[in-house]
Amino acid sequence: MRLPQFTYHSPDTLEGVLALLDEHRDNAGVLAGGTDLLVRMKHRLAGPKVLVSLKHLDSLSYIKEMSGMLCIGAKTPIIDVIRSDRVKQQAPALVQACERIGAVSIQHYRGTIGGNILQDNRCIHYNQSQLHRSGRQPCHKDGGKICYARDEADRCNSTCQSDGATALMAMDAHLVLNSTRGEHRVALDGFYTTDGIHPFDMQPDELLTKIDIPVVPGAVSAYQRLSYRSAIDYPIVCAGIRLVPDQKDAGCIGSARIVVGAMSRSPLFLAKVSQSLAGVRFDDNTAFDRAGKDAMNAAATFAAHNAGADLAFRQAMVEKMVGRALEQAAAQVSMKIAR
Amino acid sequence: MQTIDITLTVNDHQQIIPVKPNDTLLEVVRDYLDLTGSKEGCGEGVCGSCTVILDGHPVRACLTLALEANGSAVTTVEGLADGDTLTLLQQSFIDHGAVQCGFCTPGMLMSAKALLDEDSSPDRQKIRQALSGNICRCTGYAKIVDAVEHAARPEPGCPDCHTKETGGDHD
Repeated sequence: MRLPQFTYHSPDTLEGVLALLDEHRDNAGVLAGGTDLLVRMKHRLAGPKVLVSLKHLDSLSYIKEMSGMLCIGAKTPIIDVIRSDRVKQQAPALVQACERIGAVSIQHYRGTIGGNILQDNRCIHYNQSQLHRSGRQPCHKDGGKICYARDEADRCNSTCQSDGATALMAMDAHLVLNSTRGEHRVALDGFYTTDGIHPFDMQPDELLTKIDIPVVPGAVSAYQRLSYRSAIDYPIVCAGIRLVPDQKDAGCIGSARIVVGAMSRSPLFLAKVSQSLAGVRFDDNTAFDRAGKDAMNAAATFAAHNAGADLAFRQAMVEKMVGRALEQAAAQVSMKIAR
Repeated sequence: MQTIDITLTVNDHQQIIPVKPNDTLLEVVRDYLDLTGSKEGCGEGVCGSCTVILDGHPVRACLTLALEANGSAVTTVEGLADGDTLTLLQQSFIDHGAVQCGFCTPGMLMSAKALLDEDSSPDRQKIRQALSGNICRCTGYAKIVDAVEHAARPEPGCPDCHTKETGGDHD
């Protein structure tokens, strides 16, 4: 399968990249690992006239801790995140999520954490070859007026299937975006539009440069995902959880963040269900089961036929993924206390 | 379309190759260098049959721009054997019946080589994980995992491992 034609730039500096993005804006595409962009280009779903490669920007590949934040450069390869002891300790859910991205030995070396967050929304009816799509009317995301994922929908019902974004949103991560206009910091849970066609609230001249994860003392996190195969496939349901112990009673949850992924146009931070866990004991599995059910009910309304699996099954699995992730996160607390 | 010269060390031979911006590494090794061992299966990063080793790591050649590989060292399946002498890993694939139609084999070999270069004695689980990005429609994977395992740790008493030593007949 040939790639469409484009001109290629690989600037040596961040300023050089930003200047090119400013000059070419919507015509530019940012190439990091290429495991998402190049596939979409081969399918003729994306056709940037100018590719701006981050090949020489090694300064965007790092993992460090600074002023209460775990900071990860956007160009950090997935494998570096998986192998980082710092991330394992401070953000275990992110390691669990990254281990599940693509295939162990392959996408991990090319794919980057920034690219995983910014992978375009997907839909089983949209992410198909040009030949496949040519057999019928284009859908909303493909420039038409039909949605194959949900009957008579007047807008796109694609889904965000990023493992990394779901785990990072649970850990209340922030993104740092740079452009020639300056730097801009945004919370990941406020980074999404509700538009499946253009899912990110980001300008075409902006580049994702850094991910900040707050380091909260005593916090535990976990990530669970369901997919057809353990490798290569995208999640059809996933859940990221972070639990912070109560300051007065370490056996109780002080605050929780429950995020359900792969069900909607963005990962869903379920604020109400999360709040209901405040004050619950870490060994209260009944409360976790109830939270799983509540999460399922909250997420179910967003579900559309966009990932192949039976809709009722995916909805039911939200409960399981959330429940399992909660139990797994809570188990880390008892392990910490035992130590 | 204008071409750009890149320097690529392919199987230990440094070469200067004119490429178009939209050439993938796979197209360069197959179509320009005639190294047709690496296969294009899906062309979109799913099947793994185009796997090559780029600067020590296994990557999908179909999803790597040739320009991005500029200055790198690439090992393709042709770079494994020394003339007619196969590597232990390749011989093990033959001995253990890990090759049926053979289309996935170059990718399997490169993923397995990358694993063995990093960990000379991986357990079965680690082998399965390392090969999880490579799809085979014939073998059911068991024999491929056997082949990699026995290449890492030839097992005394394994009738297949001994074929070469005893010069035994397969039938």
